[in-house]
Amino acid sequence: MQTYFDDFNADFTCKHCGHYVSARTEVSGVVNRNHCPYCLHSRHVDLFEPGDRLCACKGVMAPIGLTVKRSRDKYASGLRGELMLVHRCTACGVFSINRIAADDDAVRILNSLRWGSDEIMDHRQARKIRLLTNADLALVEFRLYGLQVPTTS
Amino acid sequence: MQTQTSDPYAYGVVYKKNLGHYHVHTNSQVVLCSLSAKLWKDFEYSGGKGGRKKRVTNTREKHMDPVAIGDRVRVQLADDQTGVILKVLPRQNKLTRQSAKPMPGAHAFEQVIAANLDQVVPVFAAANPEPRWHMLDRYLVAAEHHRLPVQIAITKFDLVHNTPAEAALLTAVDRYRQIGYPVTLTSANAQLGLDELREIITDKTSVLVGKSGVGKTSLLNAIEPDLGLRVKEVNQTTGKGRHTTTHLEMFPLAAGGAIIDTPGVREFGLYGLTPDEVAECFPEMRPLLGQCRFGHSCRHEEEPGCAIRQAVMDGTISPYRYKSYLRLKVDL
Repeated sequence: MQTYFDDFNADFTCKHCGHYVSARTEVSGVVNRNHCPYCLHSRHVDLFEPGDRLCACKGVMAPIGLTVKRSRDKYASGLRGELMLVHRCTACGVFSINRIAADDDAVRILNSLRWGSDEIMDHRQARKIRLLTNADLALVEFRLYGLQVPTTS
Repeated sequence: MQTQTSDPYAYGVVYKKNLGHYHVHTNSQVVLCSLSAKLWKDFEYSGGKGGRKKRVTNTREKHMDPVAIGDRVRVQLADDQTGVILKVLPRQNKLTRQSAKPMPGAHAFEQVIAANLDQVVPVFAAANPEPRWHMLDRYLVAAEHHRLPVQIAITKFDLVHNTPAEAALLTAVDRYRQIGYPVTLTSANAQLGLDELREIITDKTSVLVGKSGVGKTSLLNAIEPDLGLRVKEVNQTTGKGRHTTTHLEMFPLAAGGAIIDTPGVREFGLYGLTPDEVAECFPEMRPLLGQCRFGHSCRHEEEPGCAIRQAVMDGTISPYRYKSYLRLKVDL
């Protein structure tokens, strides 16, 4: 019998688009599948650390943009790190940064460059995150398709 | 603890049992008793669809026991200090758990750990073995279900005192104290908190419950040094207890009252609870029941306008307790 806490390693149905999503590592390319590859939406279930499942909010987390992960002062500046997806909870407004999976919709990820708005940057937590913009299109394409070496650093 | 009646009958309290024999403390003597055939024949248990009462019909069900430690019983006495238990008097309360299932999907029975109690003392070790707070929540829910007061005892506190693990332990302890559960930090080796615990259990009938190796019997030995009960160290390789105590027994306390020592348990299934009733067994959730948008129909999982989820978000209810609540509902 599938239980509530098996969700962490189990398949799920997206709360936003209704697609059935496989959480198997060989499909997603990541160990912890945490968002829908079709609409990129996620759920707010973790509170203190990834996987703790302590949050009672359970709201839908919408993708709001992209950032890059840095080993030091991560998410702040520099463009050499791993491409990451920024989520914000539609219920309580909390931000979360998640890895992009191998089977994520690449076109939708590219479109997400246009989603970043100035409004969210007023948020205290969001100010630590450097959202990528259209100026970083070459970098995102490189990360997604390996087409072009970025000139910015 | 006992009342008198005319010979050859007597009333007494069951204080020890093993292998079908029951040690009953009557007015002035200890009687080794067996069960009357009629008691077995009339023994009913809750089973089948809708909690319908059933009777023991085959040997597979004979592991169920109509008599529990703490039961007040009517005994027919023989001349050689033996007797037969004829009747179990109505219980004031009981602490029960769900029996282990012989195979997946099999029917689980009710196991009465002890009856006619004044309080339950869940015992957890501060370290070695590490405390499992979800297990404590199970004991608390079982006690709340039977309307039994709880006194939490943390043993081996000297192992974490002045270490980084102490802060994490005290944070968890505060979580339960804020809900209203009294917690005593003890150490049998360092003689810590024993007077406080002794005062709490005096003149009451208490039962010690907890997993193997947490120090239930060591705590009892420290409180009542004359008992001299057998204890062992936990296994250094696995970090688990060695199941040294193998039977249930009630011990009278010198200062008054009695305490029941139990063998350590690996799992503690809740019996007789439905998922809808679990929230009532969490004292911090009880005042919020019925205040959700969907009223008493709310499952407190993902429903919009849930007052309990909102309280967790506000910090009124601990997220760890809420997670325990969800896990308990799934396990039922």
